Amino acid sequence: MTASAAPPEVGGWRILIVEDEPTLAFVLEETLIDAGFAIAGVAGRLEAALAVVETGACDAAILDTNLSGVSAAPIAQALESRGVPFLVLTGYSRNQLVEAFSGALHVQKPCRPERLIAALRSILPADLLDGPAGRT
Amino acid sequence: MPTTSPTKATLMAEVADLRARLEEAEETLSALRHGEVDALVIAGEAGPQVFTLQGLDAKTNRFRGEMLAQVSDAVIAVDNDDRIIYLNAAAERLYGFAASAALGRTQAEVYKTRWRHEGDQAAAAMALSVCGEWRGENVHVRHDGRELNVESGITVLREAAGQPTVMLAVIRDVTERKRHEDAVLVSEIRYRRLFEAAHDGILILDPATRKIVDANPFMTEMLGYPQDHLVGKELFEIGLLSDEAASQEMVRKLKRTNQVRYEDLPLESQGGRHQEVEVVANLYDENGQPVIQCNIRDITERKRSEEHVHLLMAEVNHRAKNMLAVVQAVATQTAKYGDPATFSSRLSERIEGLAAGQDLLVKNQWQGVEVADLVDLQLGHFKDLVGTRVLIDGPRAQLTAGAAQGIGMALHELATNAVKYGSLSNLDGRVHISWRVTAGATPVFSMSWLEEGGPLVAEPARTGFGRIIIGRLAGAAVSGTAETLFLEKGLTWTLNAAAENALTGVAR
Repeated sequence: MTASAAPPEVGGWRILIVEDEPTLAFVLEETLIDAGFAIAGVAGRLEAALAVVETGACDAAILDTNLSGVSAAPIAQALESRGVPFLVLTGYSRNQLVEAFSGALHVQKPCRPERLIAALRSILPADLLDGPAGRT
Repeated sequence: MPTTSPTKATLMAEVADLRARLEEAEETLSALRHGEVDALVIAGEAGPQVFTLQGLDAKTNRFRGEMLAQVSDAVIAVDNDDRIIYLNAAAERLYGFAASAALGRTQAEVYKTRWRHEGDQAAAAMALSVCGEWRGENVHVRHDGRELNVESGITVLREAAGQPTVMLAVIRDVTERKRHEDAVLVSEIRYRRLFEAAHDGILILDPATRKIVDANPFMTEMLGYPQDHLVGKELFEIGLLSDEAASQEMVRKLKRTNQVRYEDLPLESQGGRHQEVEVVANLYDENGQPVIQCNIRDITERKRSEEHVHLLMAEVNHRAKNMLAVVQAVATQTAKYGDPATFSSRLSERIEGLAAGQDLLVKNQWQGVEVADLVDLQLGHFKDLVGTRVLIDGPRAQLTAGAAQGIGMALHELATNAVKYGSLSNLDGRVHISWRVTAGATPVFSMSWLEEGGPLVAEPARTGFGRIIIGRLAGAAVSGTAETLFLEKGLTWTLNAAAENALTGVAR
């Protein structure tokens, strides 16, 4: 579990992981770090996730839609209102998702790490792919 | 011999003469039988005598007989002794009796009469004696037992002096008609019963005016209006269609296609109760009169249960995919940290542990799992040691689904480790598993796995996925902490969490 060799093109992007299943959260974290991302936070509950969004120290998010039976829709709204891009990583089919997630990129579980990383890159602003350090 | 014997010629002449007379007699008999003879003249000792066979007006009689034979109703005449003196061809057919057999018999020998209602018979007898005629319906039972529903007209014929001589009956078989009438009656009763008892609302509409002409009780129940409030209204007036134009459109469509179906119409009852209804309208022809029948079914419940099914399907999808993702993660991590030679068996064991945990959750309808049941399950392989080398103690406490999965995975790893390297790997080591919930304002759930008596323990040089499962992942599953110490006497594992995060039924 090391993050020393971060690929330069995504260096420094801080990603929020919202996932209530500890095993998946752990593997997501490892996958992102291995790919060169930084972790803004790992949250399994609504309040914890919203607290991270509030700090503003988050450049993108991976969102599970159901947190132990609680909808993650408020997190989606908070992210949208702050203009933070996010993708939903969920077991639900697209047509089973509520309105709040309809604008987001939908990635279905289970998902290979490479595919997830590609999806995450696709929602980051193209002109800023060098990471938040490139922003003025 | 005084007499001379006849010659052959005289004998021949005598035979010819006898033969001729025999033929003549047979011809006469045949004529008599066929009614071709009106009178006979017999030459007797007192001179020729005339025998009239059919009276003076035989011709007229025969004419009348032929007329009656053509009538399709049965005609029977009986004398004062109730004996049949005439029956026409239709009567022969109706009663299955040939005239030759019926004539001279009593009427009761040909058929028996059964009256439908008490007093019918007395009324008929009264009518005949007072007015000399009776008309009415009853049942005639033929000699073979077949029953005929008949309509009869009976007239008493009297002689010049006014004494009754003959009763003439004209009888019509109405069995078919009766059966038809009964069928119509049964069908009417059946329709009414369906209409009254149906658990669909039914409205009958006049297509010309589009107004309701009948509404069944269930419809009035659905809408909360009495029946007379509905009759005379149009569908939009009772809130079933949005406006008059929609009513007109429905009738127009019906005239084209004979059936119109609306799914999911909202219907407000008088009490403001909202219902989802399905309406099927049919245009029927009733004896040349068009009518519209609308069946209105309350589908609120059906819709609700459909939504519930969709929700369950989504939930199943979510859980199955999540579990697959966990298996995928476990596989990746097992491969990453473990020995490639044992990868397959380690992965299979971990998947089995996950699957067993699912069984417990499903058994409890995903509501939670008793700690003791979870421990039992994950220690399944060492059942024989429980009570001697494996000690288990703790109160009743129910873990949430998430906590059960995390702790279950940890127990699985701990057990596997103990049997390979720890206190269950030799002949006399022991494991003590216990848990408790502390009382207080913020109750704490704690659980421990303490090994002793095993081989000497040293902290492994490398952190494997097993360490992550019993440490970080178990802690995260209860939003608490899990700590592992490699003491000399054996491994100790302790987990601590706010009870509200690990257990069900703890107020938050």
